[in-house]
Amino acid sequence: MGKILIVDDTLFMRTLLKNILFSGGHTIVGEAGDGDEGVAKYKELKPDLVTMDIVMPKLNGIEALKAIKALDPAARIVMCTAVGQEQMVKLAIKSGAKGYIIKPFQAPKVLEEVKNVLAS
Amino acid sequence: MKEVPVKIQHNNEWIVVKMGIGEDRIVLPAPINKEIHFKTVADIAEKKNILIITVKTDTETVYKILSVEKVLQVLKKFILGSCNAYRLMAYFMSPAIRGGVMVKEAQWDKGSVVVVRSGIWFVSATKQICVPVNDVAAIELTKRDVQGKPTDVIKIDHLEQGEVSSSFVLCPLSTLQVLYNFLRDTTKSMDMKGTELDGVDQQVAMLVYSGMDSHAIENMLNIPHKQLDAIYDKILKLGLGEVVTIRREIQLTTKGVRYISDATKSQTN
Repeated sequence: MGKILIVDDTLFMRTLLKNILFSGGHTIVGEAGDGDEGVAKYKELKPDLVTMDIVMPKLNGIEALKAIKALDPAARIVMCTAVGQEQMVKLAIKSGAKGYIIKPFQAPKVLEEVKNVLAS
Repeated sequence: MKEVPVKIQHNNEWIVVKMGIGEDRIVLPAPINKEIHFKTVADIAEKKNILIITVKTDTETVYKILSVEKVLQVLKKFILGSCNAYRLMAYFMSPAIRGGVMVKEAQWDKGSVVVVRSGIWFVSATKQICVPVNDVAAIELTKRDVQGKPTDVIKIDHLEQGEVSSSFVLCPLSTLQVLYNFLRDTTKSMDMKGTELDGVDQQVAMLVYSGMDSHAIENMLNIPHKQLDAIYDKILKLGLGEVVTIRREIQLTTKGVRYISDATKSQTN
């Protein structure tokens, strides 16, 4: 079980992920509504894992991922992306993301991916 | 011609026969006494280990054959290679995404895509995967990174044991467009305008898909039970969902209140 930071610009998606991750026994240590806030919260909270939306205002998910990896190369980040953004996923993986989930997602699959990344 | 024992449905009963399998036909002995040429097969579907074959000559006849996986694999290989269907050589990846997570061991298989009345089959030397037309959620022409280059592919979203999976088909662009049009036509009955549900309705549908129950949905969206019920009705009416459980809320009668009062007293004494 891990301490997780959720970065997504929609409250709905943050709430959904929070519910799914909480049901899997994880602790949600923080939430951020854009990439900038995500990087700041990462520095402050030092979570075990971050779920990171890709399309966000201010700093997008890929830029936020790079910023977090520059701070902490061992950071575990799972990208959340919409269908049709597989190219972005590839870019995120090249930039150091450990996993990815594609919206819409199902609770068991999200928990499985998070478990795998936490174990990595 | 090889002979294998199978069970076949005849006059609403399962009977055991020694079925002959050739490269272009199967022979069903007495009491059925039929020869089925694979080119007359108009549809092929599979439910567990039952193969359902629709043969179209002057009339349509449905045959249900039950056997072990090994026998069915041989039968499927022959039938899918010769039946009356839209068929093309292609690379496919099925499934590539399952429940929103990319399948890690997914790889391109060289084989063929066979579209019959009830389903889309992906066939290679080692795989025979069927996506029933009724389970197709979306079909789109998109790009995917293949050997480092963005390449045109068809993406088919389909339900697989209750979760959405995506499969990809890769072939020359002109063929891809024909296949895309054909698949769109085959699955037209599933098309919707996209304006049937409003914002909150869509959020409810997404939460249902994510596995949330009614109580969680009410809490997450901060909506009363009656509103959620009305949204469920809308989703059900559109054929987008089905009822799986009806949960009851109850209140205690006087007798019930007395019972728990007594129980509490005995616990505290």
